[in-house]
Amino acid sequence: MSLRTPTRRAKASNLDASDVPYRYRYKAFLRPSPNSRRTSSSGYNLACPTSQRDKMKLWIAALLLAFACYLPCGAEDETEARLLVSKNILNQYLVEGKDLTVEYRIFNVGGSSALDVQLKDDSFPERDFEVVQGNLRVSWGRLAPSSNVTHAVILRPLKSGYFNFTSAEVSYLPTEGSTERQLGYSSSPGEGGIVPLKEFDRRFSPHVLDWLVFAIMTLPSLGIPFLLWFGSKTKYDTPKSKKGN
Amino acid sequence: MAATGKVLVVFALCMFSIVANGDMCLGPQVTSQTYTTPEAIVSTETVFIVEFSVACKNGLKNINLYAEFGGKTVPASKIGEPNGNKFQLSLSDEHKKLPSGNYQVRVFDEEGYAWLRKAQRSGENLDNIKPLFTLDLSHSGVWSGPVLQSEFVAAMTAIFVWWSAYTAKSRLQQ
Amino acid sequence: MAGGNKNKLSREEELLLQDFSRNVSTKSSALFYGNALIVSAIPIWLFWRIHQMDLYQSAIIFVIGTIISTYLVAMAYKNTKFILKHKVAVKREDAVAQEVMRKLSDDKKMTKKEKDERILWKKNEVADYEATTFSIFYNNALYLVLLIVVSFYILKSFNPAVNYVASVGASAGLLALLSTGQN
Repeated sequence: MSLRTPTRRAKASNLDASDVPYRYRYKAFLRPSPNSRRTSSSGYNLACPTSQRDKMKLWIAALLLAFACYLPCGAEDETEARLLVSKNILNQYLVEGKDLTVEYRIFNVGGSSALDVQLKDDSFPERDFEVVQGNLRVSWGRLAPSSNVTHAVILRPLKSGYFNFTSAEVSYLPTEGSTERQLGYSSSPGEGGIVPLKEFDRRFSPHVLDWLVFAIMTLPSLGIPFLLWFGSKTKYDTPKSKKGN
Repeated sequence: MAATGKVLVVFALCMFSIVANGDMCLGPQVTSQTYTTPEAIVSTETVFIVEFSVACKNGLKNINLYAEFGGKTVPASKIGEPNGNKFQLSLSDEHKKLPSGNYQVRVFDEEGYAWLRKAQRSGENLDNIKPLFTLDLSHSGVWSGPVLQSEFVAAMTAIFVWWSAYTAKSRLQQ
Repeated sequence: MAGGNKNKLSREEELLLQDFSRNVSTKSSALFYGNALIVSAIPIWLFWRIHQMDLYQSAIIFVIGTIISTYLVAMAYKNTKFILKHKVAVKREDAVAQEVMRKLSDDKKMTKKEKDERILWKKNEVADYEATTFSIFYNNALYLVLLIVVSFYILKSFNPAVNYVASVGASAGLLALLSTGQN
């Protein structure tokens, strides 16, 4: 079991920072295992050191371990930037022809500023989505550690149906002097169904004009019988006064 | 000698101020375009997007700008070509917290931002720091559907008409 | 004379029969069916515009629904009219009698029996007329209320075609049912 630094490759990242850099199995290294074959590489039984030489070796191993552990961790924490990007669709209903809000939140959970941060999202094809406001390619000169920034884009779907919302790409320079750009991906919101405008209108539009026309159409059906009946009623409804005549 | 020294100092100071100003945007001319969320039925949050471009009189390019809105400070996003001085600001919050009205966003350059952070750390009032420029945006509010549903009105009217007919019928049948 | 008496009796019988039978004259029938057709056709507008049903695609459903609804609504009209006619007749008796007597007071040639017959006939006519018009008015109002409530509140989230068939059927059906129930 060797401690290793993470290679610089593209990796999917999500918002949960708790499982982020601590992948080093130093805890497993410390676990006492008298029966298992997987004791430490030098064959120590960590439960009960026997000789003075063994004790010294144990101390050296512990020191090396602590040092080795903190070295890469420290480097990771103190001198490198690490960006986590979350991409969210801020819509309750995805309706064809109505605004769709995409929000990107970039968090710098590293120890130093990220430089020349560039976010680009090519996952919305031109023929299916129209950009209303905002830009799908954006950059920031510098992003301070433990800070976040939000970017929003308003799109308009041109077609209805199911659409898979995939990740956007972010690239940045993790330290001041680095030349190699670090690449990352945002979270992907997943599949969403874009409702056709007709269905949405059916549920949410007020249809005032239609109701008024309906009222006008029912007026003769209700009004004419009522007036005829009322005329007859008033004509023959005054026996008392007539009796007075 | 002393005179030359003094001249040199004065000259250096002048140069210094020129060099210092060379980093700052002078006389910014701003053109902006704003978008605010129109409907609350479709969107879950109110979003303000301001796209603006800055032209400095001293022709400065590739500047970093920071915006302060509602107590929060965010860096402005750069869009378009790298030295084009076009920026976008995205501000979002719940519908209730961003009602209709006029809002102001203060935009700072690097120096102003440094002052702002210093003031934040020492707990001073942030309003005193003068921004590079201010963006005004007006939000006409989100439409969350009609107050009274039309079918409710129709149903009530129909029930009223029927009720008067029913009472007339009861009177007839007495 | 005897023939004349027989004639008058049969006329009285005729009137009495007319009074107590549920059968309506062809003129009344035409009136009922015409009104029922108009009222049953009105929901088509609602469903076309508000529930966004395609006119041409759903034409068959609309036609079938309208026919069934027309039949049921006309039945409701007849039943309601029959129930109301007597009540109206009782109420309008005196006023009608007075009016007819006033009109015929100058005519000395008519016998009392003839005058009574005239009164009876006039009473029947007025009651018929009033009951018909009120029945149409009342049933139309009730039909519209039922339609709006069922279609926009109870069956709101159903498929529009199902919504149409169910709401028109339920409204017309309930209307017919209620009209037979009352006394």
